[in-house]
Amino acid sequence: MTSTQLDVTFAALADPTRRAILARLAKGDASVMDLAEPFAMTQPAISKHLKVLERAGLISRGRDAQRRPCKLEAAPLRDVTEYLERYREMWEQRFTALDAVLADLNRKPKRRRTP
Amino acid sequence: MKKLKLITGAANEIIMEREFAAPRALVHRAMTEPALIKRWLGNECSAVIDVQVDLRVGGSYRHVFRRPDGVEFTFTGIYKELGVERTVHTERFNDMPGEAVVTTTLTESDGITTMLMIERFESAQVRDFVLSTGMADGAGLSYDNLERLLSEL
Repeated sequence: MTSTQLDVTFAALADPTRRAILARLAKGDASVMDLAEPFAMTQPAISKHLKVLERAGLISRGRDAQRRPCKLEAAPLRDVTEYLERYREMWEQRFTALDAVLADLNRKPKRRRTP
Repeated sequence: MKKLKLITGAANEIIMEREFAAPRALVHRAMTEPALIKRWLGNECSAVIDVQVDLRVGGSYRHVFRRPDGVEFTFTGIYKELGVERTVHTERFNDMPGEAVVTTTLTESDGITTMLMIERFESAQVRDFVLSTGMADGAGLSYDNLERLLSEL
């Protein structure tokens, strides 16, 4: 995944409504009408969000001209997850080492470095 | 102890939350004293070869790492605030232009310290670059499932 693609994916995910739309689509395909209902938003407003998600490759739209059902596309999400998880894992490794340092300091709290 | 929680807040932020079984004064010490930093900041993917800290507001720090392939990289910055409860410092990667602002808040309750660390980068692009370098440092890891991603993002 190139950093440009990553930027597009992150930008699309930066909005809470769009994340909620993805969470809804994770349960199954839905039409614009289905999606607009729980968000108390107009269909044009939802359509705008869907265009951003579609450009980011996070969803695809069906061919049925009437409903054009939205479908979640998992691949870009998996890529972003991989980046985040590896970064998290790097820091978790550091903080696990920090746990050991703290346990050591806790065992000898009175000890001071003497000049 | 709760595992490290990482979330992306604004498009230019990385937010990390973690608990430590120690009073916050100790956590603060371990995060600011060079001899202690050296004991936890490095790992087999990137060893810490030098830590210099001028621990005062306006003072600078320098962390030098070396990867197994011999490539070295450096984080430098200036302390803007230095409290046991809240520390703010800037962060610059190598000599790249622009710097991040890292705000670390420590809250203590019943001997457990909760750390909240917010890294705010100059742009979403820089944030994403940092995440991608984290990827290069990481070990082989399994993919998360989609549901967990959606609940955490």
